[in-house]
Amino acid sequence: LAPASGNWTEYINGKWLDAHYDPVANLYTFSSCIVLADLHGDGENKLVVGDLGTGSSNMKLKVYRGTGLMSENTLLDLPTGLVSFLMDQHEPRTPAIAVASGPYIYVYKNLRPYFKFTLPPLEVNALEQDVWNQAREDMIDPLSLKEMLDSIRDKADVPLSVRSLRFLMLDPQDMEAFVNLYKEQPIRRQTVITCISTLKKNMADEDAVSCLVIGTESKDVYILDPEAFTVLTKMSLPSAPTQMDVTGQFDVEFRITVACRNGNIYVLRRESPKPKYCIELSSHPVGLVRIGKNVVVGCAQETLQGFTQKGKKLWTVCLPAPVTTMSVMDLPTRGFQAVLVGLANSEVHLYRDKNLISTIKTPDIVTSICFGRYGREDGTLIMTTKGGGLIVKILKRTAVFDDRDSAPGPPLAQSIRLNVPKKTKLYVDQTMRERENSVAMHRAFQMDLSRLRLAAARAYVKALESSLTPMSSSLSEPLRMNAVVQGLGPSFKLTLNIQNTAVCRPVMNLAISFLYDESLYSMKTAFFKIPLLVPGLNYPIDTFVECLSDKGISDIIKVFVLREGKSAPLLTAHINMPVSEGLALN
Amino acid sequence: MLRFLPDPLLVASEPKKGRAPKAPELPIPERKNWLIHLHYIRKDYETCKDIIKEQLQETRGMCEYAIYVQALILRLEGQIQQSLELFQSCAILNPANPDNLKQVARSLFLLGKHKAAIEVYHEAGKLNDEDWEVHHNLGVCYSVIKDYKNVCVVSQAEEQLNAALQLNKQDRTFLTLGKVHLLSRDTDKAVDVYKAAVEFSPENTELLTTLGLLYLQLGKYQKAFEHLGNALTFDPSNYKAILAAGSMMQTHGDFDVAMNKYRVAACVVPESPPLWNNIGMCFFSKKKYVAAISCLKRAHYLSPFDWKVLYNLGLVHLTMQQYASAFHFLSAATNLQPRLGELYMLLAVALTNLEDLDNARRSYEQAVALDHSNPLVNLNFAILLYNHGDKKGALQQYQEIERKVNMLKDSNTEFDSELMDMAQKMATALQVGESLVWTKPAKDTKFKQGSAGVPIKTLGSSQQPLGTNQALEQAMSSAAGYNRSITPRVSLSQPKRSSVPLAESSGLENPPAVPGDASGTPRPEESDTPDTLPPLAAKPKVKSKSRQELN
Repeated sequence: LAPASGNWTEYINGKWLDAHYDPVANLYTFSSCIVLADLHGDGENKLVVGDLGTGSSNMKLKVYRGTGLMSENTLLDLPTGLVSFLMDQHEPRTPAIAVASGPYIYVYKNLRPYFKFTLPPLEVNALEQDVWNQAREDMIDPLSLKEMLDSIRDKADVPLSVRSLRFLMLDPQDMEAFVNLYKEQPIRRQTVITCISTLKKNMADEDAVSCLVIGTESKDVYILDPEAFTVLTKMSLPSAPTQMDVTGQFDVEFRITVACRNGNIYVLRRESPKPKYCIELSSHPVGLVRIGKNVVVGCAQETLQGFTQKGKKLWTVCLPAPVTTMSVMDLPTRGFQAVLVGLANSEVHLYRDKNLISTIKTPDIVTSICFGRYGREDGTLIMTTKGGGLIVKILKRTAVFDDRDSAPGPPLAQSIRLNVPKKTKLYVDQTMRERENSVAMHRAFQMDLSRLRLAAARAYVKALESSLTPMSSSLSEPLRMNAVVQGLGPSFKLTLNIQNTAVCRPVMNLAISFLYDESLYSMKTAFFKIPLLVPGLNYPIDTFVECLSDKGISDIIKVFVLREGKSAPLLTAHINMPVSEGLALN
Repeated sequence: MLRFLPDPLLVASEPKKGRAPKAPELPIPERKNWLIHLHYIRKDYETCKDIIKEQLQETRGMCEYAIYVQALILRLEGQIQQSLELFQSCAILNPANPDNLKQVARSLFLLGKHKAAIEVYHEAGKLNDEDWEVHHNLGVCYSVIKDYKNVCVVSQAEEQLNAALQLNKQDRTFLTLGKVHLLSRDTDKAVDVYKAAVEFSPENTELLTTLGLLYLQLGKYQKAFEHLGNALTFDPSNYKAILAAGSMMQTHGDFDVAMNKYRVAACVVPESPPLWNNIGMCFFSKKKYVAAISCLKRAHYLSPFDWKVLYNLGLVHLTMQQYASAFHFLSAATNLQPRLGELYMLLAVALTNLEDLDNARRSYEQAVALDHSNPLVNLNFAILLYNHGDKKGALQQYQEIERKVNMLKDSNTEFDSELMDMAQKMATALQVGESLVWTKPAKDTKFKQGSAGVPIKTLGSSQQPLGTNQALEQAMSSAAGYNRSITPRVSLSQPKRSSVPLAESSGLENPPAVPGDASGTPRPEESDTPDTLPPLAAKPKVKSKSRQELN
């Protein structure tokens, strides 16, 4: 094995050997659907993957051996979970594969279909049953059937079956046919499996017979007998389970830690049909893993939390990105146990308790992780990525994970110099100058400030006096005007926008006159009347100006808004005319 | 290859046993819920939406969970109104599920319809009363109905939050409850709540920092420092805790340690005005005036309307003898904070140096009128008056000084030695014999800087809730005001404090002749004004020396 990229230091110092990377393995799967098992009893572990295909079709049960795909079985529905387990004492001791999908568990032996288990149906609403019975005997018409079902749905404790729900959605003309099609069949309510796991029956050995533990959408947990596939125990939860961790033996004592869809984690034990302990998290659990007697939970809020098995919080670690998946890394030969956490920033972090002991960078976001014996290699890490890639890494025999102290030293940032600019010569000079002449500077400044204020006040008064402000200040004719000049010359279009800003009073009897240098400009009409101004509306008034000069000079045109009978203008605007480019060209 | 017996077809089209083989089996609406949930919690919202769409098509909109998650995603994307509608349709599909109602209420809450949210939460509470989340959210709703005078609302908020805590202890419930107590000005209860919270989750830095700041506000510096230190052990780059702890270190004179902490904060939050203000004042205390000015100017650039930054800038420029610049910063500060006597005093000092005596006098008058406890203001005024021959006015100010000193003596505040010296000289100059009456006992109790007491008082009286950033800034920000009294350790630090000697020395400076002949002791400070840049170094040195002697 040689490193692909010639990055020798990483190759030598790294803890993992890159055994295989297939970026186009086309796998869509989750940690719950990956298992390593010695399927043929030849001492060589195979990788079994339940592939969700496109998410709606092309679901496959794939088996990998070494770097190659060994076999493929078509699955009928989306696989929710996949486990390998020993179902009997027969020799050779080869494990069976159980694939949970929908309400069924398909059991494969030697990669051949062996048995199909169906979840026991749920209780059917008695009233609903009655109503359908009546319908079967044609005692009620579809419309009254709908009415009755509607009323049952609203108050029943037991929900309606799929059939009734679908019936309620139908249009009246389709009801008859639907009833005829289904009325002969018994009503059934099915639920689906949401997670699956195994539990040793009565021995703790590696190769002991195991029961199947399944969680269902109906908020129940079933334990199945491995040989007869009968339900040994049924327990119920307050919410639908999403993943579980099982430990112990069925006949002795066991503990099922279940993460549920309501964001809580429940602990179930033998002889108690209800959860014994409850951990209420502040966000949804994404991954659930048990290490020794503690439970490690990866939360959607980018934290990793440790709890005792009785639900007491031990520690919390903040993660740099959302968790995508989690798995246990267990090396019994070295007595090493840690948690692998796949993150959305394309990294896999390895935690022992709350200490991050190693980080693996991956080419893509990892969606499933599985650690264990693959082929004949004990420490193999198998990951699939979001883009469908398959990564296989082997732990080096020399790799050592040193437990760094949990109390980190001072953060790196402490040694970074503060970004403070150096003092410059100019600054020093200016400071000295100020120090020597501060009084003069202050006085000059105050003087100039006063002058500025005076100039501003004068300009303001002047503007008020000559009505130069863009708004008229008189109370009886509150007007606003602005002017736009369009064109390149020699003729320009002058648009005056006049608006009456009064609340309700119209303004009448206004006129506009222009004042300009007659040697430079000519206007057809330099004086005209303005129509009645309705409050709030904008009145654009156009006029045309001809430039007479070809010297490329321009001047100001003054516009006055006048009131009939008054010589002082209400508003004045000075329009800076642009240079006429048209004439300049001639 | 063998196949399972019944079908090579999909489950959906699997034929049924029984007589009517035609009837297709109806797909179970919940069959993809697990997949939707799996993608949702992994924040893979795009795939999640695709699956939901498919599932809703298949079930004709009957799948409650698919709609529920769709609504959750919409809400995350900010489309709260749409999410509300979807949650409402979920609640119609399954009225018995309290989750649906809880989410309806949550969306209402986010839309600002708090009263409606409260009603829906109560409804959800009827379905499941043992749910801490309902109680917590009810508490939050009540606490945001901004009606703190209404005792009923506040007590309801407290009641609900306590109920939530009884059902399940969650950090955020503690935080909200503490905040409610603070908003109703019940600091003791808030401290109790945060104490309980810290006990429950001792590693939550937010709780630790909040409690630390609360202690700081209450003047329990030892405890405050302890909690802030704990917060920093768990999260060494916690900005709030660094700023608070750093300013406490500054108060103690540990400038290097404080600077170390600030460096970390400067990496995390490089654009924080209070942080740069404090760094600036650290440099100031280390007599690196140019660095101090550039840091303060950065703080000023980041927060142009913070009067504390302007105050410090004015102070540093006064120290640098850049009186014209100091005037601008101080006058800007007085515009933003017109009720602080000390600001006017500094302004007057600047004006005195700019030889604008009329305005200086006016500014002093304003300062004296606004200030109630700082004898320094009166002392500087008295010096000005005395230097310009107004002995009567000076005497009046002197009596005012005595009054304030006596008042402060009762409250056991210790005084700056330089202040005492000056006052004594003033007394001899004015030929008031009784001056010794108050200087002596004060001397026995060991002098300390007391001047900085004033700003903290104004800070305290502005009465804002602690625990927020604002409060933090208030507490920390301007190194402008820190009361020490924490430990007997004397420090020459304290940006604010340095205002004292500065103001005094400048008060002395302009009229070198008068106090000289009056008291017969020429002030050594004035003699040397070195030309190099950090020029005032000489003066603080003198000051510090005198202080050490006293101790």
